[in-house]
Amino acid sequence: MNWYPIFLREILIFTRRLLRLGYVVSAFLMPLLYLLAFGLGLGRRVNISGGSYLNYLLPGLIAMSSMVNAYTWVANGLTMGRLYFQTFQVYVQAPVSAAAIVWGQVAAGIVRGLLSSLILLVLGLVIGSGLNLNLLFLLSLVLNCLLFAALGVVVGMRSKSHEDTANFSNFFIMPMAFFSGTFFPITQMPWVLQIIVSCLPLTHTNYLLRNPVWDLKALASLGVLLAYSAVGLMLAVVLVRNYSE
Amino acid sequence: MPHGEICRAKVLIYSRYGRLLDNQADSPQTMIAIEHLSKRYQEIVALDDLTLQISAGEIFGLLGPNGAGKTTLIKILTGLARPTRGSAKIAGLDVVRQPLEVKKLIGVSPQEINLDKELTAYENLLIYGKLHQVPDLQNRIQSLLETGDLTERAHNRVREFSGGMQRRLLMLRAIMSRPRVLFLDEPTVGLDPQVRHQLWDLITQFKADGITVLLTTHYIEEAEILCDRVGILNRGHLIALDTPQDLKARAGGYTVESLKNGRRHYELVQDREEAQRRALADPQGVIVRRVNLEDVFLKLTGESLAGKREA
Repeated sequence: MNWYPIFLREILIFTRRLLRLGYVVSAFLMPLLYLLAFGLGLGRRVNISGGSYLNYLLPGLIAMSSMVNAYTWVANGLTMGRLYFQTFQVYVQAPVSAAAIVWGQVAAGIVRGLLSSLILLVLGLVIGSGLNLNLLFLLSLVLNCLLFAALGVVVGMRSKSHEDTANFSNFFIMPMAFFSGTFFPITQMPWVLQIIVSCLPLTHTNYLLRNPVWDLKALASLGVLLAYSAVGLMLAVVLVRNYSE
Repeated sequence: MPHGEICRAKVLIYSRYGRLLDNQADSPQTMIAIEHLSKRYQEIVALDDLTLQISAGEIFGLLGPNGAGKTTLIKILTGLARPTRGSAKIAGLDVVRQPLEVKKLIGVSPQEINLDKELTAYENLLIYGKLHQVPDLQNRIQSLLETGDLTERAHNRVREFSGGMQRRLLMLRAIMSRPRVLFLDEPTVGLDPQVRHQLWDLITQFKADGITVLLTTHYIEEAEILCDRVGILNRGHLIALDTPQDLKARAGGYTVESLKNGRRHYELVQDREEAQRRALADPQGVIVRRVNLEDVFLKLTGESLAGKREA
């Protein structure tokens, strides 16, 4: 599967934009602002499960930041490349499979998602926020990036304009970021909302990043993330395979 | 019948417009074979029952106004669009059923310049070469950059290039994988005459290298100079197909162009004396010139290639 050229192109373009203000703000400053606003503002007054709010918040912001960056870059890049710059058409006209196109995009999305988490991870280690950086933590983080990058491919392939991508982000991605246990435990929500929220993938990433312990509950959450990832990847491959103008 | 004669065998059929279509019989040298190809976008018919064969090593030009179906045909042949009906084969491979095999044989230079403008010329060629798994890639890139006189700009971002340089790079990228068939969709659109001539030289070189070229163009001169045969598309229909010389000869040798009531009128006449007689008879003065493919299109459809209805 010749996915590497697609990955290489996406990463080369990413490196060109890395130091642009827009990227720095969205990838690094926004999560830091959340951390300052909520962590410092509420952190001193609020305790969750006997621990500090900052320790609770940081894994949630890592999950949110990786989700937003993995999704947004893939969905926007694909929509713009397909509808405006026609660069996606170069992939379709090349002798590469739909799976290679999807995997190249998703792999680049994973890198972007992980990079945006990096600054928060480093900060967490510096301030001693009790992050448990073990294999399950890293696996959950990578899976989170993967499934939202795959979702980015699906949305990027279905969007009829740049607005569609933004709308999906406004009506699905951002609400999920706020209600999936990023800023407060889902147990504080009404039970009906708890059921809905427990079906969302970010809820399971949040749980895994806060409790990276190989127990049954963690395995169940990991299973949910894997299932979402598999469905997202398959859907993305079908959409790319059936692409027709 | 000897092989050479089979290749030259031609089937003459009448189109729905009642004009002669010169349709080459499917032969061992047929590189592109299109059979009853149609493409609909809901109510819009982009291509309607198109049948056409293009021989190996030929430069084939598709002429027609915007919306005639030229780009749609290229999209179907290169795997970007699926036909509603009919079939298309490249080197005997079905473009719908064997897309990956077909894509190994083709190169595409699209109407839109779809280079990555944030990347350098070298990076654009590198990624395309890796996508097509081009052997000995570094040498191939160097050789292409030399061909396009772009070696010194290899590591400059494409967004800093002029329109002509971008077009040149686009065309070089298209031949990166040494394709057997090259699709050039409006390859010289918006370029000044000097750059256009440079690209024509490049296209002529492709033919010398044995590449089959299918090009679409709005420029009559381009089609007349470059193409071995020309097909004229109008509203999804192939309304004429022959060499540029034969199409013009069939339409008439000379065009008498006059201005009546503020509108241009065109008359196509067979011989020079007749054209001169008409010129002398018109008190307002007329232009007499040799017939070009624009006149052929006008005669067939009553419209100019720019889409304006003419008298």
